[in-house]
Amino acid sequence: MKYLLRVVLAALVVLVLQMTLAHRLAVTGAMPDLFLVLLAALVIDRKPVVGIVAGFLLGFLQDLGNAELLGMNALAKSVVGYGIARFGGDYLPDNPLFRGLLVFAAALANDIIVLNIGRSFDPVVVIKTFLRSSLLSGIYTAVLAVVVIQVVRILPGRVVRPGGRQ
Amino acid sequence: MQIISFFFERHLDKTVLAVAVILSIFLLTRPDDSTVAAGRVISSYLFYPVERVKRYVGSLDELREENRRLRRLVASLNHEKEMLLQYREERNRLRELLGFRRDGFWEFLPCEVIARSASSYHNSITLDRGGDDGVRAGMPVVGYRGLVGRVTQVFPSSARAILLNNTSVQVSCLDKRSRVVGVLGWERGNLFRLDYVGREEDIQPGDTLVTSGLGRVFPKGFPVGTVFQVTADKTELSRRVGVVSMTDLNRLEEVFIITGSREWESGEVWRELQELQQGGGPADEGRKGNGE
Repeated sequence: MKYLLRVVLAALVVLVLQMTLAHRLAVTGAMPDLFLVLLAALVIDRKPVVGIVAGFLLGFLQDLGNAELLGMNALAKSVVGYGIARFGGDYLPDNPLFRGLLVFAAALANDIIVLNIGRSFDPVVVIKTFLRSSLLSGIYTAVLAVVVIQVVRILPGRVVRPGGRQ
Repeated sequence: MQIISFFFERHLDKTVLAVAVILSIFLLTRPDDSTVAAGRVISSYLFYPVERVKRYVGSLDELREENRRLRRLVASLNHEKEMLLQYREERNRLRELLGFRRDGFWEFLPCEVIARSASSYHNSITLDRGGDDGVRAGMPVVGYRGLVGRVTQVFPSSARAILLNNTSVQVSCLDKRSRVVGVLGWERGNLFRLDYVGREEDIQPGDTLVTSGLGRVFPKGFPVGTVFQVTADKTELSRRVGVVSMTDLNRLEEVFIITGSREWESGEVWRELQELQQGGGPADEGRKGNGE
């Protein structure tokens, strides 16, 4: 219960940060996806089901803060949450480099889904926007996620079971 | 029973993923009904206190200095406006002689930005004015330097506007100098491109683009951006025109919604100027009456 409350609080804080601060953190037009950072920090050591549910709820919250297309981020974050939880615990070594690569891949996958839905699957526009913005944003998000995950792991009260999964 | 066991025991994660995907697609195809709108209203109220606190934290000295500068600027702009009004009156008289419609003045509703969208590609802002203040969907939103977007959703005391740096927004623009028309689309950050500009068209770096008013989505004549790069396209049929927006769309704090147009009353500028001077304190007393 305490954990759930903490997650809800973190989600609300991230929503406010994304809507008020993220634009000020933009580097050459690339902004970090703070929702993805939070999602990665929450689900990287957890079961895929938790990743999907957390991704869906965070994406839905993100959609509520947008002017259009309710369900777009919910879809993208569900898939990405599943991917992070599936590959984060089972297939990749547990070190910051691989965690960064995983979040980078997740950011790219997220952008591919969002861009395709947002631009009605127009391949030319999607590829152009992807090459222009997504790569840099993905790197930015991945670096931020590695730092946040590292900080979350050294926080007191966090219990990691021997198998890695919580 | 076996089916349930197959889905919820052996393939629980894939089943949940399929449910999440189906639910998302259901939401995507669902019309924007009142339940969804209510959720969005609640989320828009979430950031209001945060934005308020952030503003109060700002330095008071900075605000005083800014206020002083703005008062000076408003006074000088009012003088300039009065001159332009005289030209406009003359222009309107000539237009009437030719049978054209008279030009009106835009009615600006000042608003504060209380939140921004949570998406990188669908940039929008939430404003602190809504339906109770006469705001309606479709109204253009401008900043101090030019066009910034358009109102898309209206709630009782707030409204959401999509910005020009949104992948779904395209604006018909014309070159202020050569009157070449093109369609402006967002690239990244504050950079845009002007499409459909022919190889022979006269467009140069440094030119200012203003809204063309075509389609009546945005009113005519509002500055949008400055051309910074013109190169030949690979096809040699058109030109690639790079544009930087007039307004920094990532740092909007105050904007104006254009709620309509009206006729200008004679002497309105001077009344406004006097009101401003009266509110300016003892330092401004000596300047009172200059406009009479």
